[in-house]
Amino acid sequence: MIIQVRNLSKTYEYYKKQSGLWASVKGLFRREKLYKKAVKEINFSIEEGELVGFLGPNGAGKTTTLKMLSGILYPTSGEAKVLGYTPWEREAAYQKQFALVMGQKNQLWWDLPAMESFILNKEIYEVTDADFKENLDELVELLDIKDVLDVQVRKLSLGQRMKCELVAALLHKPKVLFLDEPTIGLDVVAQKNIRDFIKSYNEKNKTTIILTSHYMEDVKELCKRVIIIENGEIGYDGDLTSLIEKYAPYKVLKVTFEGGGVREEEVRKFGEVYKFTPNNVTLRVPREKAKNVARDILSSNLPVDDILIDEVEISDVVRKIFSKEK
Amino acid sequence: MKKYWSIIRNEIQRQFTYRIAIAAYAFGNIAELVALAIIWTVVYQSIEVVKGYNASEMISYVVFAWFFSFLTTTYAFEANVARDIHMGTLSNILVKPMGYLKYMMTVATGRIFVALLVVLIQVIIVFYFFWDKLIFSIDFPTALLLAAMLVVSYLINLLLSILIGFIGFWTAEIAGIYLALKIIKNFLSGFYFPINLLPATLVKISLFFPFAYTAFIPIQLYLGKISFAEGLRGLAVEIVWLVILYGIIKIVWRFGLKKYESVGI
Repeated sequence: MIIQVRNLSKTYEYYKKQSGLWASVKGLFRREKLYKKAVKEINFSIEEGELVGFLGPNGAGKTTTLKMLSGILYPTSGEAKVLGYTPWEREAAYQKQFALVMGQKNQLWWDLPAMESFILNKEIYEVTDADFKENLDELVELLDIKDVLDVQVRKLSLGQRMKCELVAALLHKPKVLFLDEPTIGLDVVAQKNIRDFIKSYNEKNKTTIILTSHYMEDVKELCKRVIIIENGEIGYDGDLTSLIEKYAPYKVLKVTFEGGGVREEEVRKFGEVYKFTPNNVTLRVPREKAKNVARDILSSNLPVDDILIDEVEISDVVRKIFSKEK
Repeated sequence: MKKYWSIIRNEIQRQFTYRIAIAAYAFGNIAELVALAIIWTVVYQSIEVVKGYNASEMISYVVFAWFFSFLTTTYAFEANVARDIHMGTLSNILVKPMGYLKYMMTVATGRIFVALLVVLIQVIIVFYFFWDKLIFSIDFPTALLLAAMLVVSYLINLLLSILIGFIGFWTAEIAGIYLALKIIKNFLSGFYFPINLLPATLVKISLFFPFAYTAFIPIQLYLGKISFAEGLRGLAVEIVWLVILYGIIKIVWRFGLKKYESVGI
């Protein structure tokens, strides 16, 4: 077991700030302290080499959890062990074995070529010259960034910068990698590049990775297992495929009709009409009734040409989970 | 240690990308000195001695105090510390096997490097213009003592800057606090004028703070207004203050970090 989290909670303190000038003046003297439970008693464990996706809407507690596992935040209660260490004790021995990449924050020196930051990280993590060269060559090759190493970071595109961030984080060959929104703001091509890289890196090095993302594509492509966090609690932890069965109690029937097709009233009795054109109808029907409904449609006097029983799109499922929220 | 050298080298390189900003800063430095020199030149046209300082002593005081201050300043390093806290970039260091205080002290050292070069060029210009008015007399032990005071003064200023930067853990903006403290510091350190021009009580109070030892005392020593022994005593007081500040920083850092962690930037 590489990561073990037990009853981990985090409550933030903040002050209530009312709008208006008078309220601001009053606020100078008396402020009301408020608490936000960002993470509530969560439990999970992760095996070596797993690539787990954290899914959840903004503010669900994904980043807070990653920050606790990186030792940036103390939890309010509960415990966690990563590689046998308690993260928030910030032992150097632990820090040398993991890395955190935040899509919204960079660790590279903004005014210098990325190479300078790499060299600095080499020294901080005490990587030997030989290892440094080998790792760097491999990463640069995989990410195809040979040409940008000597360009000031601030002159790089977002995609190039993200690739350099990944290199900086991986130079010391961490055993555990936390990726917080690594593809945020990137265009589709850059997103795919990063995604492909993460996938092959994980397969090759058996690095344990936790990934948070808003992009369904990232999770669909990369993670076999997902943990869904809603309102600071774990709503689901398991295979991505069985997620659909749990959250989507229905299947989709796509029916094609011949000739002039049908009218909406004629198909409504079979199930919830999701999309309608006279020749193509998509229906949602309860999972267990799907077969019977398909048979009923076929044996009805409607001009059926073809019928297809399908699972709901995973992104639809997740969208449904997120919109349930709040 | 190689990592410290790497940080210093990066910071020096970074400073060179801001050549224009440094030049502008340097221009401001000189303007400040010229203003002080003009005021005293005018004053000494109608008076021989002010509180025991004759004209060349006063001009020397102002020039050398200016020189000493710019060799020991941290160039608003508190802003860097506060920015790390407010932007959350502090997290980048927190996850690495390196202490933040060590890291920032190293960055600051690289940061003053380029500024030091600029100050040295300025000094050549200033000395050229004030040459006939300046007093140059120094023996080897005094030079050594002054060098020691220079280093300790820089460290005091650096720790103060970091400490003020840490205020950022509790407030969203430190510029106001920083400016107010800077003016008080310049005043009490004798940057504008020798503090013994002030009423005796104020002088006593200011000798209680570390500031006077980062400009007034070293220049008094240089001008032969205080003895070598008094200079040594000044250095001792500085070292005590350095230790005190270090202790305070450690404590404030612990509390600040708790705060940082509880708001979760």
